[in-house]
Amino acid sequence: MDSPLRVAHYVNQFFGGIGGEDAANVGVSLESEPVGAGRALQQALDGAGSVVGTLVCGDNYFNEREAEAVAAIKGHLEALKPDILVAGPAFGSGRYGLACAEVCKTAQALGIKAISGMHPDNPGALSGWPDVVMVPTGETSADMPQALAAMVRLAGKLGRGEALGPAETDGYMPRGVRRVHDRQRPGYQRALDMLLAKLKDQPFVTEVPIHAPEKVEPAVPVTDLSRATIAMVTTGGLVRKGNPDKQVAANASRYYRHSVAELQSLSGADWEAYHAGYFNHIVNSNPNYILPLNFLRDLEADGQIGGVFSSIYALPGVATPVAMSCDLGRSIAQDLVNSGVDGCLLVAT
Amino acid sequence: MRLEMGTFPVERITFGPETCYADGHLQVDKDAVAEAVHADPRIASVDLEVAYPGESARIWPVRDVIEPRIKVEGPGVIYPGTAGRAITTVGEGRTHRLSGMGITEVSSVNWHDAGGDFVEVYLDMSGPWSDLIPLSQLIHLCAVVEPDPGLGNEAQNDAVHKAALVVNDQVAAATRHLTPPQQEVFELREVDPGLPKVIYIWCVHSPQAMSGSPTAFCTTTYGLTQLTPPWFLHPNEILDGALTGPYRTAFAMSWTVANNPMLLDLYRRHGVDWNFLGVIALRTEWTTQHEKQLMANQTAKLAKFLGAQGAMVTWDAGGNEFIEVVRTIQACEQLGIKTVFLTSEDDATEAAPTMLEPLPEANAIVSTSFFKTRTLEVPDLPPVDRVIGLQHKDIGPLRDQRVPAAGQLPPPPRHDDHYGFTTMSCIEY
Repeated sequence: MDSPLRVAHYVNQFFGGIGGEDAANVGVSLESEPVGAGRALQQALDGAGSVVGTLVCGDNYFNEREAEAVAAIKGHLEALKPDILVAGPAFGSGRYGLACAEVCKTAQALGIKAISGMHPDNPGALSGWPDVVMVPTGETSADMPQALAAMVRLAGKLGRGEALGPAETDGYMPRGVRRVHDRQRPGYQRALDMLLAKLKDQPFVTEVPIHAPEKVEPAVPVTDLSRATIAMVTTGGLVRKGNPDKQVAANASRYYRHSVAELQSLSGADWEAYHAGYFNHIVNSNPNYILPLNFLRDLEADGQIGGVFSSIYALPGVATPVAMSCDLGRSIAQDLVNSGVDGCLLVAT
Repeated sequence: MRLEMGTFPVERITFGPETCYADGHLQVDKDAVAEAVHADPRIASVDLEVAYPGESARIWPVRDVIEPRIKVEGPGVIYPGTAGRAITTVGEGRTHRLSGMGITEVSSVNWHDAGGDFVEVYLDMSGPWSDLIPLSQLIHLCAVVEPDPGLGNEAQNDAVHKAALVVNDQVAAATRHLTPPQQEVFELREVDPGLPKVIYIWCVHSPQAMSGSPTAFCTTTYGLTQLTPPWFLHPNEILDGALTGPYRTAFAMSWTVANNPMLLDLYRRHGVDWNFLGVIALRTEWTTQHEKQLMANQTAKLAKFLGAQGAMVTWDAGGNEFIEVVRTIQACEQLGIKTVFLTSEDDATEAAPTMLEPLPEANAIVSTSFFKTRTLEVPDLPPVDRVIGLQHKDIGPLRDQRVPAAGQLPPPPRHDDHYGFTTMSCIEY
């Protein structure tokens, strides 16, 4: 039989038995045995593991002095060397959930496996996503026994270095890692089963959980356009005539930077579109549709913008995986920032 | 609207002095069929070849696979409206079909010459690609057709597809005076009013935005492929081919549309599990957000006024068309219509959503796995003994490497089981 797992447990001041809101400012402390909710955890482990240390921290302290809290926890974890860190469960408590997510990430950065549990709407669930394994729980500690049972089962797998099964069968919140899977029943039958369940208000499990997309903070507006250098980026698949750079028409893995310093306008004699997602002929007759250089030159001559940046950036924005799109976008943005560009006109198709 | 569907199973196809059917054996008079095809002066060449499941054979390029059907009673013609056929409303009377086979339209003619929408489908009759494609389980009567090279692209498309439909008419006519071994009646009869009312929202690609032409070839509705507001179709109309024709995957062929298991199961469980109201066919690849949202709103409104309490949504495309599809789901849910979406998935790199616009209203999704063969890790496909059709294929991201079609080939870029034929899916970790 495997030797019992060494389990470290993270709890807040309340579940650590220090106190309620009045004790939320206490700093990190280490107990060498299970305390508070940890006793229930020790019980749930049922011999498969042993709580070798309990880290307690006030929710306010953690969220207001996160760097110090994380440093202290890191030190304790390095000393404890647990096989697995269990954080929470935090249920519906937002500050506790955020702390649990951070503590798990801290452990994982040290190479220590970690697991938490909380209500799916807890902000900590989003903050820990997708790196931290989390068990969905109810909103209150009334759900403690079920939550701990599920967490302990997964803690055992993680602590022993076993791979987790799919989220919907292993009972953790899906983390966006999608793998091919044979469901042994044709898609149309599964879809009609799901429709029937939905119509009857019976439970069903979607095969594609929806995760809220990343929110991007807009940049602050350009304060004075008449002094601003404006760059142009197009995802319309603009290429030099004949595509001498051999850019692809879809699923791009790079973008091209071309100088337009000497140009007043784009001519169909020199430029064309190579893009697998729209009717290219219109652009071939007038490439300024996807990169309106002529209009920007007018604004420049008028003094309405300070100047047009000397280079343009082009790629086909079609069928590119999101991660690659993010990389390409970041690279273009960094190049623009390094070049002192103040604003950018992105022409999408 | 009542339709009797007579089925003639085909287990063997041979060439002989007359076109006839008996006991699973289809005999085809090759010369007579070729002569009928050549009645259209736009056709330069035609040949017929047969491929069986399990053979070391590859069919390339596959523009369409058509199930042989013929209307033997009732108004109109089968596969109406395409390639100049009558547009009389179909769906009543009696139709015969030859099951277990397809008439496979093989030609070098591309869909259109704008953008990058190339015919990329090929079928292997054995090996790993055949395991992934239900059409490879059919016996294929391949019509290898080339049109007059002097014609414009749309005329070539029309001529080639018309030729395949002529083969359909010639072959299916063999069953006209026979009694079908199997028969099924399709009718949306009155049912228990307590059953939930269900609509099928069937999204089909329009090539109009890509090609710049309202008449480019693709899946048609009574011959139309242009961007049009949602259509209400009786399922019998679809069984008679009112919705037919191919798009760019082996799951978007006339055969898969005519045999869409989602449509058939919705229909067969009418009066048992639900009250099936019919089909709203929604064209996709609108250009502006205004158009996309309007189509979503109007589709949901139409479903609501038809009395729908539940909706099944499928689609056959990718990319920007997702917006009108998922907005339709959202609009249905906002009107209280319980909606399920069957779809393939895009790459899930670094936990990126596989749904282009992940709206929370799309809370009941069935996945038919990744649509890209690259993401599915389909290997390069092994050489074959025989190629029916073009003997070369242009491959590579720029399509600038010409290789023998009989040799090892990268798989077509898309798998994409649009209607849930297979058990393939994804699961989340």
